[in-house]
Amino acid sequence: MNGQVEDSILVRAAQDGDVDAFEELVRRYQSSIYRVALRMLGSRADAQDAVQETFVRAWRALPRFRHDSAVSTWLYRIVTRRALDKIASRRTTGTLDEVGLEAGPDLAQAAEHQERLRAVRQAIANLPPEQRAALVLREFAGLSYQEVAQVLDASVPAIKTRIHRARLTIVQQTSSWQ
Amino acid sequence: MAVTSQAERLPCGVRLEELLAQVADGAPPADAAHQSGCPYCQTALRRLRRSWADVTELAREPVNVPSRLTTQIMERVKALAAQTADFILLGHARGETRVSHAVVVRITQRLARTIPGVVFASARVEPHDSPLPDRVDLSIRLVVTFGPALHHVADAVRTIVRRQTPRLTGAQLDNIDITIDDITS
Repeated sequence: MNGQVEDSILVRAAQDGDVDAFEELVRRYQSSIYRVALRMLGSRADAQDAVQETFVRAWRALPRFRHDSAVSTWLYRIVTRRALDKIASRRTTGTLDEVGLEAGPDLAQAAEHQERLRAVRQAIANLPPEQRAALVLREFAGLSYQEVAQVLDASVPAIKTRIHRARLTIVQQTSSWQ
Repeated sequence: MAVTSQAERLPCGVRLEELLAQVADGAPPADAAHQSGCPYCQTALRRLRRSWADVTELAREPVNVPSRLTTQIMERVKALAAQTADFILLGHARGETRVSHAVVVRITQRLARTIPGVVFASARVEPHDSPLPDRVDLSIRLVVTFGPALHHVADAVRTIVRRQTPRLTGAQLDNIDITIDDITS
């Protein structure tokens, strides 16, 4: 399907029951939705579940989609809520099963590099869920503060505070900063 | 909370929040003259940049979407769609044949997309008050490339759908309404 077709047209077609149009929306957004789920949950299996549930819920909720927000904002809202629910249902926090990319030719350097990235992932996993959601949407999905506030149903100042707290915690946990 | 208010200010009084926003968001310094001459600010900025570089790198790291994710999602969506789909009923002396509206729609879409200039087509079986269960109205929406006369494209779509959809599905078509929603370059 041609990428020039606007999201709103695909949504309207999907609202009419067109599963091919919905599949095109899935293809367009699954990568960014998966990235948010993975960074919030730290587990590929959980992220995969969350993304599946996100799109199935989106399909069910299509009749209620009013076209007053972007499709991406709507999907980010669903995946964030799914991820927060999953986090709340966990007994412990910080379960990371995600591994990094393949090591490069310089093994020692690559290992140190992977260790630094692992420390960032762990620091994100240790954040309070509301801070984690705001940070992930800002830093990993590239949303503006305004968009993050819209996704999380919060004010922009509240979101800025959450993101600031999250950033400070990460900086403190991943370096010798004091 | 891991961060204390004391830890959020440098000895020169500048808040770390301000420096972090500068590093992470590219925000301008609140007091550029102070910052350029302040050793506390300069040291803090260097360390923050070093720490934040790892976050930026993680954000840039490619994320491999599981290969079967689209298929898994669409299997569930198609199952849901099938639960709510209506049918046309084709009478037969030795039983009934039901064809889902979803099938009529998909075949119609595929036929419409064979017409030159059609970039995207979606279709819907409209409610029909005929007592005959194999008769339907169709509503088709198109996105078309800029160039061909739009009414010619619509006529070509209507012709192929009227000819081929009944042949392939058994459905008898009454009205075929076509809306052109958009054009692309």
